[in-house]
Amino acid sequence: MERFIDHCCEKCSHTRENPCKDFVRCCVEGPVCHEDPECAAKRKAIIDRVAINEQFVII
Amino acid sequence: MYEKHLMICGATGCLSSGSHSVEEALIEELEKRGIRDKYRLVMGGCPGFCEVGPIIVVYPDEVFYCRLKPGNMAEIVEKHLIGGEIVEHLLYKGPDVDAPARFIDTIPFYAKQKFNVLRNSGVIDPESIDEYIMRGGYRALTRALQTEPAAVCEEVKKAGLRGRGGAGFSTGLKWELTLNASGSKKYVVCNADEGDPGAFMDRSILEGDPHAILEGMLICGRAIGASEGYVYCRAEYPLAIKRLKIAIRQAEEYGLLGENILGYGFNFKMNIKEGAGAFVCGEETALLASIEGRRGMPRPRPPFPAQSGLFGKPTTINNVETLANIPLIVREGGAKEFASVGTEGSKGTKVFALAGKIRNTGLCEVPMGITIREIIYDVGGGIKGGREFKAVQAGGPSGGCIPAEQLDLPIDYDSLNQAGAIMGSGGLVVMDDRTCMVDLARYFLSFTQKESCGKCTPCREGTKRMLEILNRITEGKGKPEDLDTLDSLAYSIKDSALCGLGQTCPNPVLSTIRYFRHEYEEHINDKFCRAGVCKPLFNYWIDPEKCTGCTVCARVCPVNAISGEKKKPHEIDLELCTNCGSCIEKCRFDSIFITPVRREADVSS
Repeated sequence: MERFIDHCCEKCSHTRENPCKDFVRCCVEGPVCHEDPECAAKRKAIIDRVAINEQFVII
Repeated sequence: MYEKHLMICGATGCLSSGSHSVEEALIEELEKRGIRDKYRLVMGGCPGFCEVGPIIVVYPDEVFYCRLKPGNMAEIVEKHLIGGEIVEHLLYKGPDVDAPARFIDTIPFYAKQKFNVLRNSGVIDPESIDEYIMRGGYRALTRALQTEPAAVCEEVKKAGLRGRGGAGFSTGLKWELTLNASGSKKYVVCNADEGDPGAFMDRSILEGDPHAILEGMLICGRAIGASEGYVYCRAEYPLAIKRLKIAIRQAEEYGLLGENILGYGFNFKMNIKEGAGAFVCGEETALLASIEGRRGMPRPRPPFPAQSGLFGKPTTINNVETLANIPLIVREGGAKEFASVGTEGSKGTKVFALAGKIRNTGLCEVPMGITIREIIYDVGGGIKGGREFKAVQAGGPSGGCIPAEQLDLPIDYDSLNQAGAIMGSGGLVVMDDRTCMVDLARYFLSFTQKESCGKCTPCREGTKRMLEILNRITEGKGKPEDLDTLDSLAYSIKDSALCGLGQTCPNPVLSTIRYFRHEYEEHINDKFCRAGVCKPLFNYWIDPEKCTGCTVCARVCPVNAISGEKKKPHEIDLELCTNCGSCIEKCRFDSIFITPVRREADVSS
């Protein structure tokens, strides 16, 4: 998972053709539809790569 | 994980002062040392302080390097990135700080600013939708999709947001009018036709945070029931257009634009229309005509665009800065937070472009209600060269000048209107004691006269007659009755011109007559331009008592009009002198004076 649009695992189904209502929240706080520390870590890795300081992420 | 993030200002101002070369040199230096992968380099949005560009901010240290040259990069890499030591001589220095300053917490330029609209500018990669989402982006859209359209309009109304493009109409009310208009097809239009001389607020917002505009338009579309939007942006903003196109492509890929957005059944298509740069196309009905492929000319209103706009359909037109505020307002608790800043009648913040004779030229975002004095002296750092503040032109060619006596005027829609100026889109052109207010009025009127579309007689002919009079006055051919004629013509145009641009174009003349009538009278009656701008109306004169004979003036004079022996008083040959002003600019002893033609000196330089 390099970008938020990439699927963290097969449980994520968000695409533009099959959109998920929780997509935006899921990018930063996800996964929303299932619990999986690995999937959460994938999102965190994307954030950590570019977050310039601790105040960067806004929820 | 990167060790550090280097945010290079990649906005137009810094690009023109060489930030691209700085970036190339930095990359070369990092690659030479084999450490390129350790550092993230971003050509980001504008941090505002254009005067000291090119700028790099190093995060997480938050160290602000300025006035950079490619040759400085080896030192930054060696000392800061590798050695962990701040490169002191590349920090901000100025008369307003005792010691070299680091970032926002110590640079006076930032002390009174509050970043709403510019919240992401210089902080994120403007070409990354992921970073926009990390900063809370598209959450307000999600919330809007879960909320009834009328409730979204109500929230924007309650926040008290007024249009940032000029007139300051209530944005929520504008949306409500379009929502309530009948018709199944409606449009959202973003007016990015920023045409005021010296203004670059919208360009910087588009370049630094394009997704904020898209999100603002999407929320507007949801609120008014529109399914299509246009960004009308002048073609001379290629970077803004490039970044908007990238943002649109990304939002489409992420399912945030297009069909059935986020599964809520809301469809929205986005288009960009590049304008050819006519000033009049900033007027909303002319802008709509231009999008439709017709010549950009205003039409009478009513019907207003909310009833019959683009292609005859109900349309909401909002300015760039207005739309950039929307995601902040529509997010959870946003309306209340937004309304907590500003004054009773003017909520939130305002972005201003500081230009002219001010020390800190650039972009600033300040709370509504801040005084002109605070903007000029605290944010702007005062007048260049320590000269005297004379006036500030607020609102561009449609606005008016505010004199030094009103330095403590709060900046809000109503106070500015009462003072004879307007908020406009936020251009502030600062003038010192060497600015001639008659020439200033002539300049702005010449601009609006050239840009007049010619459709209505008052604007087409009236501005021409006014300009003829102003030209005469600045050439020393003014007549005593000219002021009354100017006044009468100005009010006729204001009362009868077809569009907002025509109705406001006499403002610079009216406000300069109101506050600087004595300058007009001096031009007309005494044939004297005290500021030394209108060339036929003054001479330069060297005071022999003060001249040290340093010869600098003689050496800079392009027509060899100054003569004299070294260490002895010099003289100007008025037959040769072209009044170019090179000598007075260079004289270090204040020995050159502006005098009425063929009279002794009486005005200090």
